[in-house]
Amino acid sequence: MRELLISLYPARWRARYGDEFLAILEERPLGPFDAADILLGALDAQLRLRGVGRQPPPRRGFIMSLRLGGLAAIVGAPLWTAGFVILNELFGTADVRAPAVMMAVGSLSLLVALAGLSAFQARVQPALSWAAFIVPAVGTVAVIVAMVGVGVGNTALTDAFFIGLFAFFIGSSMFAVATFRTGVLSSRAAALLGVAPIISMAGGSGGGFGDVLILSGLACFTLGWMALGVLAVRQDRAPVAARPV
Amino acid sequence: MERKSPQFGRFAEPSLLILVSLSDGPKHGYAIMQDVESGTGRPMGAGTLYAALVRLEELGLVEALPPEDRRRPYRLTAVGASDLAEQLRGISKFAEQGLRQLGEQQP
Repeated sequence: MRELLISLYPARWRARYGDEFLAILEERPLGPFDAADILLGALDAQLRLRGVGRQPPPRRGFIMSLRLGGLAAIVGAPLWTAGFVILNELFGTADVRAPAVMMAVGSLSLLVALAGLSAFQARVQPALSWAAFIVPAVGTVAVIVAMVGVGVGNTALTDAFFIGLFAFFIGSSMFAVATFRTGVLSSRAAALLGVAPIISMAGGSGGGFGDVLILSGLACFTLGWMALGVLAVRQDRAPVAARPV
Repeated sequence: MERKSPQFGRFAEPSLLILVSLSDGPKHGYAIMQDVESGTGRPMGAGTLYAALVRLEELGLVEALPPEDRRRPYRLTAVGASDLAEQLRGISKFAEQGLRQLGEQQP
C-alpha cells in the first residue's frame, strides 16, 4: 500500500525524498485521510514538476477535508435515510427509482464523510477506520450494481441492493466505534450512530414495534451523522483538539 | 496575513507550522508531524508535510541534514529563521489588532 502510494510521485521526487518519505509512512498506520493526503501530495508533486500550479488555489488540507466531510455527512445522511424509508415503503408504495438514486447519492456522500472525518480515528484505530471505509464502499458498489441491474429488469439483484445497504449501516457503526474510542468530535453523536443498526435490526427481526424500532434506528443513524457533520464544520473554524486517549 | 511568496499557496499554513516546529532545533519528518499535531491538535498528513517541505527547501528556508538511517533531519536556515520571525511578528500584530477591535465592540 505504502509503496503503491509513493509510486504515484514523480521519479525525480522519489529519488530525492522517497526513502525518508517511506520511513515516515512506516512509523504509523495509514488511514483513509493519510491515503487521500498522499494522493493529493503526489498530484501536487506531479503538477509542480510539470510547471503547473505555481500559484495553487487557496489552502485546503485538513481544514478542507473536515469541511467537506462534515457537509457530506449533513447532506448524505438525510438523503440515505429518506431513500431507505421510501424504498421500504414504510410510508406507502413508491416508485423505486427516485429513492434508489437518493440512497446511491447519499451513500457516495457518506463515503466522502467517512474519508474526510476519519483523520484522527485512523491514528488510533487504523484497522477499524479502514474497515469503516471499505465495508460501506463495497456496499455502495453493490447498491449501484443492483440499481443498474434492477433498472434493466434483473430483479434477482434486489438482494444485492439490500446487502449493500446493510454493509453501509455496519460500516457507519464501525466508524462510530472508532470515533467513540478515539474521543474526537462527539462521543454522544458517535454513540447515537453506533446504536442505530442494533435498534434497526431489532425492529427488522419482527415484533409489534418493528416499524417503530426501524424508524428509531434510522433516526439515530441520521442524527448521529448530522451531528458529527455539524461538529466537523464548526471545528473547521476553531482548533480541533483530540482528547487524550 | 498572506505569506509574501506565492509559491506556498495552500501550503502556507503547513509551511509556517513546520518552521515553528524546527525553531527549537533540527527534526526529521515524523518528529515534525508529531510536533505539529501536538501543538495544533490537527493531524498533518505526510503528503502535506512533504509538499510544504519541498517548497521550504527550494526557497532556502530549511535545509536537509545528512540522513540518520533512513530518516533525514531538516533544520531552519538563517533566512528561514528571519522569515519565521517576520511572519510571527505579523501574526502577533494582527492578533493584537483583532483583540483590540473585539474589546472595543464589547460593552
